[in-house]
Amino acid sequence: MRVPWSWIAELVEFPTPQDPAAWEERFPMLGLGVESVDRTGDDWVFELETTTNRPDWLGVVGVAREVAAACGGRLRLPAVELLESDPPAREVAWVEVLQPGLCHRYVGRVVVDVQVGPSPAWMVDRLERCGLRSVNNVVDVTNYVMLETGQPLHAFDLDRLAGGGVVVRRARAGERLVTLDGQERALPQGALVIADRERVVALGGILGGQDTEIRPQTRRVLLESAWFHPVAVRRTARALGIRTEGSTRHERGGDPERARSAAARAAQLVQQLAGGRVLRGELDVYPDPEPARQVTLRPQRLRHVLGVEIPEPEVEDVLRRLGFAPRGDGTRWVVAVPSHRRDVEREEDLIEEVARIWGYDRIPQTLPVDVMAAGAVSPDLVAERRVREALLRAGLTEVLTLTLLHPGELEAVGIPEGHPLRDAIPLRNPLTRDHTHLRTTLLPSLVEVLRTNRVRGNLDVHVFEIGRVFRNSSAGWEERKVVGIARIGRALEGGWNLPPEAVETSFYHLKGTVEAVLEALHVPGWDLRPEGQPWLHPYRAASLWLGTGPVGWVGELHPDVCERFDLHGRAYVAELELEPLARAARTTPQYRPLPRTPATERDLAVVVAEGVAAADVVRAIRKAAGPVLERCEPFDVYTGPQVPAGHRSLALRLVFRDPSRTLTSEEVDGILDHLRQRLREELGAQFR
Amino acid sequence: MYERVEEVRRRALQELQAASTAEEVEALRRRYLGRKGEVTALLRSVAGLAPSERAAAGSALNALRDELEDSIRTRLEALRARERDQRLRQEAVDVTLPGRRPPVGREHVLGRTIEEIRDIFRAMGFEVVDGPELETEEFNFRRLNIPDDHPARDAQDSFYLDDERLLRTQCTAVDVRVMRERTPPMRVVTVGRCYRRDVVDSTHMPVFHQVDGFMVGEGVRFSDLKGVLAEFARKLWGPEARVRFQPSYFPFTEPSAEIAVWFRGRWLEIGGCGMFHPRVLEMAGIDPERYTAFAFGCGVDRPAMVRYGVDDIRLFWENDVRFLSQF
Repeated sequence: MRVPWSWIAELVEFPTPQDPAAWEERFPMLGLGVESVDRTGDDWVFELETTTNRPDWLGVVGVAREVAAACGGRLRLPAVELLESDPPAREVAWVEVLQPGLCHRYVGRVVVDVQVGPSPAWMVDRLERCGLRSVNNVVDVTNYVMLETGQPLHAFDLDRLAGGGVVVRRARAGERLVTLDGQERALPQGALVIADRERVVALGGILGGQDTEIRPQTRRVLLESAWFHPVAVRRTARALGIRTEGSTRHERGGDPERARSAAARAAQLVQQLAGGRVLRGELDVYPDPEPARQVTLRPQRLRHVLGVEIPEPEVEDVLRRLGFAPRGDGTRWVVAVPSHRRDVEREEDLIEEVARIWGYDRIPQTLPVDVMAAGAVSPDLVAERRVREALLRAGLTEVLTLTLLHPGELEAVGIPEGHPLRDAIPLRNPLTRDHTHLRTTLLPSLVEVLRTNRVRGNLDVHVFEIGRVFRNSSAGWEERKVVGIARIGRALEGGWNLPPEAVETSFYHLKGTVEAVLEALHVPGWDLRPEGQPWLHPYRAASLWLGTGPVGWVGELHPDVCERFDLHGRAYVAELELEPLARAARTTPQYRPLPRTPATERDLAVVVAEGVAAADVVRAIRKAAGPVLERCEPFDVYTGPQVPAGHRSLALRLVFRDPSRTLTSEEVDGILDHLRQRLREELGAQFR
Repeated sequence: MYERVEEVRRRALQELQAASTAEEVEALRRRYLGRKGEVTALLRSVAGLAPSERAAAGSALNALRDELEDSIRTRLEALRARERDQRLRQEAVDVTLPGRRPPVGREHVLGRTIEEIRDIFRAMGFEVVDGPELETEEFNFRRLNIPDDHPARDAQDSFYLDDERLLRTQCTAVDVRVMRERTPPMRVVTVGRCYRRDVVDSTHMPVFHQVDGFMVGEGVRFSDLKGVLAEFARKLWGPEARVRFQPSYFPFTEPSAEIAVWFRGRWLEIGGCGMFHPRVLEMAGIDPERYTAFAFGCGVDRPAMVRYGVDDIRLFWENDVRFLSQF
């Protein structure tokens, strides 16, 4: 809304001279945002951003009333003195409202013998300052009065209205209208329209029709000033993709009283600018007048809500300046709400009015006095934070990626047709072609992070994200948090002179990261099992099992996917469900006494067939050795001349300890003999 | 005899001086002081001397032996020190070569901001909670006093999944869920992702973060809202941060205000706030006569841009490690 200061100054009697420059700061403190200020000549034009609850601010009078209230001035509304002539308007034209629910009031005024022509310079200039183009003296008046009062008006050429009147009704199937902008539009059935005896002549409150517009030869004018239902106007405007000065104002809700006064004001100006005679009376259809509203205000409640003591005379003064009429004693006021403030419905609305004009900046800053429990973090967020910290400590960098994707991205990372992760929930109204569905996994976004970085020459990328994924399950739509990990490039920086396998990220680096996280969380009883996923290297993939089921997968990204994304190297990815991890995490681990007896270390080289997993050997050893075996760790894996073909030698370090006494060398040797025997029997192991 | 002792002495010391390894020195010790050594042999020969010469010769030879032993020890120490030094010298490293290290994990600058915000409110007695991103019109709009056909519900602004479900457009929906489940007093804050149908540019993304909080109690006042948010601003933006509250309009608060922080010479709008509209409390089953409540919602992404001097919001989502490692 563009408001020239010169227009405000015309409407307000200031108590002291005002500097318009200062109002750039003062408008916002009233709730009127200043988008920009234009200095044209000696005038200041403010582009004001008005809130949707204040339709009155879409007229200069409304803004002027606010300025007057804030600076203690007096509002001077333009005097409307109509010189009316016979015959009465109702003998010449008629108005019928078939939809009183959509049109609470329709006021028509008839002016005859007009001379349509250009507007005077002052009118053209003022319209231009407000961003409107001059059309002719009659149309300009409707726009001028709309800018002044906020009430949209329309002018019909009465001689072109079939039957000499208008009816407010809903559009029927198949009706069309050529609007003022020259476009022929198919009207949505049920849209609020203005029609004559034969056809639709205007889109109610939005745009007029070309057939009945004011033209140079127009002699008789029917002025329309109405209250249309905001929702009806909004729906039709949106359906047709039109937004006009009129529709914007109707959508915010009008004022039936203003509809009447604006019609008179427009008739007066038409007569003044285009000559002619205003016919006696108005065509006023207002079957169900709205009762005046009264709202109670308790000064004690005002104090209670705002936290500040405002003297009662000041409260009363503020309300009166805004056009409210408070009556009553010091404990309870009954406040009559003026028709232009239909947004004020209950006590809180009045409290805001008082606070606004008295000054938000004068309300002190206090801290709540309520006694409450100390702050806390919900348990799921505590667990999430611990997982995040563990990942950071494991050397991974946090990334954030968009929740929206295109299903093609799921296919591109190798998730096959028919896989549950391909069943992404679609947006009903996506904005762009690449953001049409909700992600089911973090994999596509994380692979994209790897690609973005590799393409830009950032070769070492170690990232994680804790994010939400959305899945379509039999139980409906599910939203859950997962941890995604992606690594590529060197796992060790500054690895000069080291062999590549010591430097480059491998499956075991990824596994180490996952282990570090599980250890940081004190998650007991997890297990990594060799299980593939279509998007992973078929022989370098595993599932993380927790309790009775898998809670995630880890592995090397399938070489085909790496190639498709130009990664130029092996990438390692994982995704873990956050909630099962968080549930299994021990937040308060319990102390176990440190051992006081010495440990005995032995190395054992076990030759087993290729298909026997290291975990199988460790498991068999643990089972056979019993609780005195404290640790059992593979430290070397060897295949070569000294090992039979199809076999490998696994070197393990075993640490034995009995917490109650010192084990003798002979005892440990005995255990080892037993171990060897069991490994021979169970795994067909040989010993070197 | 004197001449003989002197000659051995000179020769032994000369040879000792010439010895360059510990082994050579040990060999000299054997040659002069060993069981078959020259000095040992001379000492033995003292017995065959005339009694008048014995004492003098004996003491001269003993002095020679002591002197040689001392010299040998000293020489040995010097040689060992030199050898150790040579050995260590060969182990010299070039301290200017790069250190070996695993990658350093870094927080995303927005992730860090979110954690900071949570900590600030927790310290002020707020409970930090989380809520769903998949919302219903009921919680995202209706219970926030945003009726059907309100401009804020434009499908133009929200991502819908079906007739009733959408991606939340603000975190205030979480407030509604919490209020419905609990009884006052409450002091709760949430930080999370929200969604709007915005075209991507340097200041807009369809996904963004918001911090949203509220407090319900028997004596919660607008002045408390100002105090709490001013404290929040000081904690996040520094002790000199000034906060401005300007009248505004939100369907779910009355009075309503926009919050701005004075930072690096200009006002930065960070969000909206106000006293919960009595209708919102009523819909949550809270008696608005007995209880009052304040609520606020602030952006996270754009204030973080200003705070860290990031000029394009897309950098947050692009995840270039050269960007991420700067924070």
